[in-house]
Amino acid sequence: MADTATFEPVHETGRDAAAPHAHIEHDTNTGISNTKLAMWLFLGSECLLFGALLTTYLLYKNPLPGQGPTREQLFDIPFTSASSFVLLMSSLTMVLAVAAIERSDHHRMRIWLGATAVLGSLFIAGQIYEFTTFYAEGLGYTTSRFGSAFYTLTGFHGVHVTAGIIMLVSLLLWSLRGNLPEHRSETVEVVGLYWHFVDVVWIVLFAVVYLIP
Amino acid sequence: MAHPQQPPVPTSVLDGAVEDYPSDWKYWRVAIILFVLTAIEVSTYVLADSVFSDSRVLIATLLFLMVVKFWAVAWYFMHLKFDKRILTVAFYSGLALAMVVYLCMLLAFRYFGDDGMICPSESLNCITEG
Repeated sequence: MADTATFEPVHETGRDAAAPHAHIEHDTNTGISNTKLAMWLFLGSECLLFGALLTTYLLYKNPLPGQGPTREQLFDIPFTSASSFVLLMSSLTMVLAVAAIERSDHHRMRIWLGATAVLGSLFIAGQIYEFTTFYAEGLGYTTSRFGSAFYTLTGFHGVHVTAGIIMLVSLLLWSLRGNLPEHRSETVEVVGLYWHFVDVVWIVLFAVVYLIP
Repeated sequence: MAHPQQPPVPTSVLDGAVEDYPSDWKYWRVAIILFVLTAIEVSTYVLADSVFSDSRVLIATLLFLMVVKFWAVAWYFMHLKFDKRILTVAFYSGLALAMVVYLCMLLAFRYFGDDGMICPSESLNCITEG
């Protein structure tokens, strides 16, 4: 059973009067809010989705002879490494945003949320550049089984990052309108969990897809 | 923009946590460690021929670094260390299930060679080419 109390929106200038009561033990069997538990279960199920895509990629990563360029001919490891650093640092800014809202520091939370969205956008820009380059070098989606598996795997991850950016911008707008008081800090935390998950997925993809020969 | 003076977030204001969330400085330290580990990962690409002549060592090293980075983000940034254990169980159950299912799939497709090295799935070529 989720919390049923309703709270009035507050603006950053005023303390959230409901905050001291916002994080008391939830009236659920687990003592955790259903939203947070649901997000963790969702992330657990996402492991199966990305596991399927990654396994398919591993099986198809070598194109048949004469079916377009190979991964060794295409991958630009220094560029992808820079993208990986960017996404990794976005996890830091995200956790700092969560810590800021837990301390009722709305101003700093907005700075870190904005930084996370910018870093995520940089990552997506890099992925678009990479896809465009690969396409120009002869790897289309249907060129080879490698192309299909690679674009599907990394494309799905890119879609997840894009969804995360939309959530971050939404949080930022809610906060600016005063609709994100500290008693709703769990919303930021749940979005943060999603964001960290796309980061850990990239940690796996970067190693398995790009680095392991 | 480090703010090491920021105190830990007390458990009393957290949702389902059993331990205080750490100070910002702790997060920065974890990020620095992740940065270094990623740099080591990338360096294996540069040093692949000179240092990692045995590809098994290279693969083992990369997998180890990957697991450490994954764990660090989940444990500290996703707060599994500080939250109730049921969240750890919920997440790692899905992860373990995925690993078992897809490892079985890779084995079924003979992805792993007899010599213990990962082979480039020629066996699948045979299947697809009939």
